[in-house]
Amino acid sequence: MKKTGFLYDEMFLLHDTGSYHPETAERLISIYKGIDEAGLLSKLTLLKAKRADMEWIEMVHDHAYIRRFEELCFAGNRMFDYPDNQMCIYTFETALLAVGGILNAADLVMKGDLDNVFCAVRPPGHHAEKNKAMGFCYFNNVAVAAKYIRQKWNIKKVMIVDFDVHHGNGTQHLFEQDPSVFYYSIHEHPSFAYPGTGREFEYGTGEGYGFTKNSPALPGWGDEEYKRLIENDLLPAFERFEPEVIIVSAGFDAHVDDDMSDIKLTTDGFSWIMRKIYDMAEKYSGGRIISVLEGGYSLARLPELAKNHVEILLNING
Amino acid sequence: MFVSKSMTSNVITVDKDAGILEAKDKMAAHCIRHLPVVEEDNRLIGIITDRDIRSALPSTVILDYENRKEKEKISDLKVKDIMTINPVTVSPSYTIQDVLLLVLQTKVGAFPVVDEKGKLQGIISVDDLLRAFVNVLGIGEPGSLLCIIVEEKLGQMKKIVDAITEENVSFGSILVARYWDEGKRAVFPYLLTQNISPIKKKLQKMGYTLLDPMEWYMDQINREKKEKGVKSR
Repeated sequence: MKKTGFLYDEMFLLHDTGSYHPETAERLISIYKGIDEAGLLSKLTLLKAKRADMEWIEMVHDHAYIRRFEELCFAGNRMFDYPDNQMCIYTFETALLAVGGILNAADLVMKGDLDNVFCAVRPPGHHAEKNKAMGFCYFNNVAVAAKYIRQKWNIKKVMIVDFDVHHGNGTQHLFEQDPSVFYYSIHEHPSFAYPGTGREFEYGTGEGYGFTKNSPALPGWGDEEYKRLIENDLLPAFERFEPEVIIVSAGFDAHVDDDMSDIKLTTDGFSWIMRKIYDMAEKYSGGRIISVLEGGYSLARLPELAKNHVEILLNING
Repeated sequence: MFVSKSMTSNVITVDKDAGILEAKDKMAAHCIRHLPVVEEDNRLIGIITDRDIRSALPSTVILDYENRKEKEKISDLKVKDIMTINPVTVSPSYTIQDVLLLVLQTKVGAFPVVDEKGKLQGIISVDDLLRAFVNVLGIGEPGSLLCIIVEEKLGQMKKIVDAITEENVSFGSILVARYWDEGKRAVFPYLLTQNISPIKKKLQKMGYTLLDPMEWYMDQINREKKEKGVKSR
């Protein structure tokens, strides 16, 4: 069995998106419940939120953007950049705590105290651009983590695997010129789903050309098509890139019961994907996986999806 | 909507007495396929395309010694020998719609833009039109597309727009296309939000049919006509 960390903190519940928003605190409560009720908490190393040092966030976001976010938030604005980004007075603080919690978790994995970790954080991050909040995201959690690991732990090659049903435009744009961070995303085709990026022909730019890979899935596709895409697109990318660390943008909104998309992955489909990622981590990355929650809005399905996700990280049957 | 706003104004041109290999190099250097041919006073007299040049050159698979002989002949060829005289032109006050229809009608890839004195003002190509379309579709901004089937009667759009606006969601664009059922239209609102499911539910509750994305299309009717036309020939 692996030494797996689980980052969860009630502070993450404070980010309040109002009454008509799918990205709610209940999502995290469902995830926690699923893991708790399966009796997994005692097998996990529980990690808490921690305030991130601004210097790390500034490696990804402009100082002016961070200040603007902070000011609008503390002035009591309920919205940031787009109506999608509903916030409350605690949103800025919660976003800082999420990033810091993830960086702390990354340290433990890099030190070898943990093999891997699941960070159940809010707000999510993969849509957040250098200068713009988008799609419920404020700070790009995984992007900060990738930069942090590269710099602090002198890691040369980081792979980000994003299976949220929406393309992680922010993450792609932040690393599209960077050959040291490979960004792979599988998502609903951008002509049918938010945010409208992540087309098959986007491969990165400049020196980063060939270090971005997108697998768009058509509406109605499910387990079988996802398996084919992962086998044809992701596994060869692992083989070629041989990442030292894997960061997962774990979004659970491609589930058939999640009404945010037209993709019809089953619970088993998610497990299949995660097991592949686990196997690749074993093969190339010394087992190091830092998994970070993105979307996933079906409160009925999140408990089982989170439980399975963590069981795979724990390698509970291995 | 006017050509003057979407055309390329800094046009790369060529002299009528230039060699065709020079014209070929010029196209390659600027990654373009059309060179308007102008007199010294900037009056348009013709256009030369990469295809004109390719047709004038010998095949690249011809043996080398034959090629050499041919090449000597070709290096004597001038732009004026192979250019199209009196090409189809447009004026700066043409609209984008004019040019779209003209492309379909003439199969021309780029039109020199000339003023009333016949002087070259710019060039507008299919690429420029496509760029305008990307802009019209609004897909440069993050959003989600829906397809709603509505009865073709007055006031439908208002209901849809009101229902979506009430949800505090902005429109990136809205397209209306013909649908295969008589008396129906397909409305494609491009909404600047990720939070699409409450809007879907609301529209369905109002009695609208949301079309399965795998059934979406925008040009079926024209295409069918075209295919039938081809068969009957």
